[in-house]
Amino acid sequence: MNIVVLVKQVPDTWSERKLTDADHTLDRESADAVLDEINERAVEEALQLQEAHGGEVTVIAMGPDRATDAIRKALSMGADKAIHVSDEALHGSDVLATAKVLAKAIGTVENVDLVIAGNEATDGRAGAVPAILAELLGLPQVTQLRKVTVEGTTIKGERETDEGVAFLEASLPAVVSVTEKINEPRYPSFKGIMAAKKKPVSTVTVADLGIDASEVGLSGAYTQVLEAAPKPPRSAGQRVEDGGDGGSKIAEFLVGQKLI
Amino acid sequence: MSFVESEERIALRKAVSEFGAKYGHDYFIAKARAGEKTTELWEEAGKLGYLGVAVPEEYGGGGGGIGDLAAVCEELAAAGCPLLLMVVSPAICATVIARFGTEEQKSKWLPGFADGTLKMAFAITEPDAGSNSHKLRTNVRRDGDDWVLKGTKTYISGIDEVDAVLVVAIQQTGPVLVVVPTSAEGFTWHQIGMDLVAPEKQFTLFFDDVRLPSDAVVGSPDQGLLQVFAGLNPERIMGASMATGSARLAVSKAVTYAQQRTVWGSPIGSHQGLAHPLAKIHIEIELARLMTQKAAALYDSGRDKEAGEAANMAKYAAGEAIAAAVDQAIQTYGGNGLTAEFGLASMLGMSRMARIAPVSREMVLNFVAQNSLKLPRSY
Repeated sequence: MNIVVLVKQVPDTWSERKLTDADHTLDRESADAVLDEINERAVEEALQLQEAHGGEVTVIAMGPDRATDAIRKALSMGADKAIHVSDEALHGSDVLATAKVLAKAIGTVENVDLVIAGNEATDGRAGAVPAILAELLGLPQVTQLRKVTVEGTTIKGERETDEGVAFLEASLPAVVSVTEKINEPRYPSFKGIMAAKKKPVSTVTVADLGIDASEVGLSGAYTQVLEAAPKPPRSAGQRVEDGGDGGSKIAEFLVGQKLI
Repeated sequence: MSFVESEERIALRKAVSEFGAKYGHDYFIAKARAGEKTTELWEEAGKLGYLGVAVPEEYGGGGGGIGDLAAVCEELAAAGCPLLLMVVSPAICATVIARFGTEEQKSKWLPGFADGTLKMAFAITEPDAGSNSHKLRTNVRRDGDDWVLKGTKTYISGIDEVDAVLVVAIQQTGPVLVVVPTSAEGFTWHQIGMDLVAPEKQFTLFFDDVRLPSDAVVGSPDQGLLQVFAGLNPERIMGASMATGSARLAVSKAVTYAQQRTVWGSPIGSHQGLAHPLAKIHIEIELARLMTQKAAALYDSGRDKEAGEAANMAKYAAGEAIAAAVDQAIQTYGGNGLTAEFGLASMLGMSRMARIAPVSREMVLNFVAQNSLKLPRSY
């Protein structure tokens, strides 16, 4: 079973993330760049499916040059090869352009049975790319999964929502997205780290994928950020003096917040 | 010449650092206080190949060098989990066996070092000889095809959790290295009470005519001294790495606290009385790390003699850096620095151990005075 995993390099969620003043896109210099945590889980799921069903795992990433670090991490976990779409023209791309580029990149991989993505990235948080991608590829989409199994040419998944758990099924090939509950990602072993350097990574531009540069990037985006402001500092909170009734005051507060 | 580590080394550091963070300093202290071992951590690190990075590939290891192993040790220590047995088992014992062991000895022992399923202690220090290998009295003699070992060793780490111990003993032609299984008849030990917060315990060992098979002596009995020195350089490099890792942890705790703790309207880290000592120690740690990496690079390129000088200097610098780092971190925290909650006081004993073991600061200074500066011996 040949699997494509989509990975994204994002600013470390523990660092302070900023937008640039010039065009309100992500200020990549302001924070450490890491492989998005949800993508580590997507890679882990692909590797587990590969261990059970064989085949090849291909990582696809779209991002600037330094996204190679995120790609190396996925390869050191055990993925077989990678495609890195890197092009200045992609700067500021929206979800539609991103999905379009990724669809073309997936098209360069032969006999893809399954595309696995995280449900949303920790930076953009649109959470729309997997669904758009499935539409563009004409494949069934099984999104927001906490569990994935493959039986023959059928993929089964569990989607957890506030209302309950949905049990979903689709025929392969398909696009799935996974949530943070899907698994615990492995740490790269020393052998995995050493092997990663020798694994093939092909770097392609938008032109290589047959896309016109004007369709992507800030100029091709359907939305525009006009203004951005840093989030206000956390307010001081509410102070309750315990005059013997502290317990009931805490309960009142929690009821007021609809937590109990 | 490059002062930047390879991409793989940097990736290894990152991976080990994330792995170590899963356990962390609180886990390590809790295990030590409960009298338990960090077994889960050791086993998982072994499975990931982190403990066997320097074991040759044909025996299941990573095929890297002491520099890689030292990076693992440092990053685990910086994550709050300094593993004392890494300094002896994969660094000294596996290195000596890989370099000097017979084919049978390598096949027997190295795969276990590669995945961490085998642990081996190292015993050189004696009650009357310290680490002076010329005055060792533990002796081993031939008896038919067997070897018979007699003597006492002290301050030996982790004997209660290892499969065997590599013992430096004297025979007619000089020192030899002997592998003694902990199950050997006539081999007993008792624990030395230490005020160190560490899962690994210290022991005095007694070998009462312990009978060992002919393959117990590593490699050729004539090359013992060379083997001992080949094992001691990795030990110093690893000791230095564990110390700089722990020193990084102490400084990072102090820096976090100095940024958060506010008195009279500003964080205490804005006061030079606290900022400058931390800056100075940060510099000293970086210098010690640089010398440690140099020593490892020399050792891994087969330059034993130059590696020896650099490893001693690295060990000295790292020992001073961690003693200063823990001292200043506690001072930064004030009273909080002595609480159990913040974990700094638990590092005090270990911070002084790095000045004493595996070779004391004074012996390093003797070595440098005589070998680097050609000054006359005082003893």
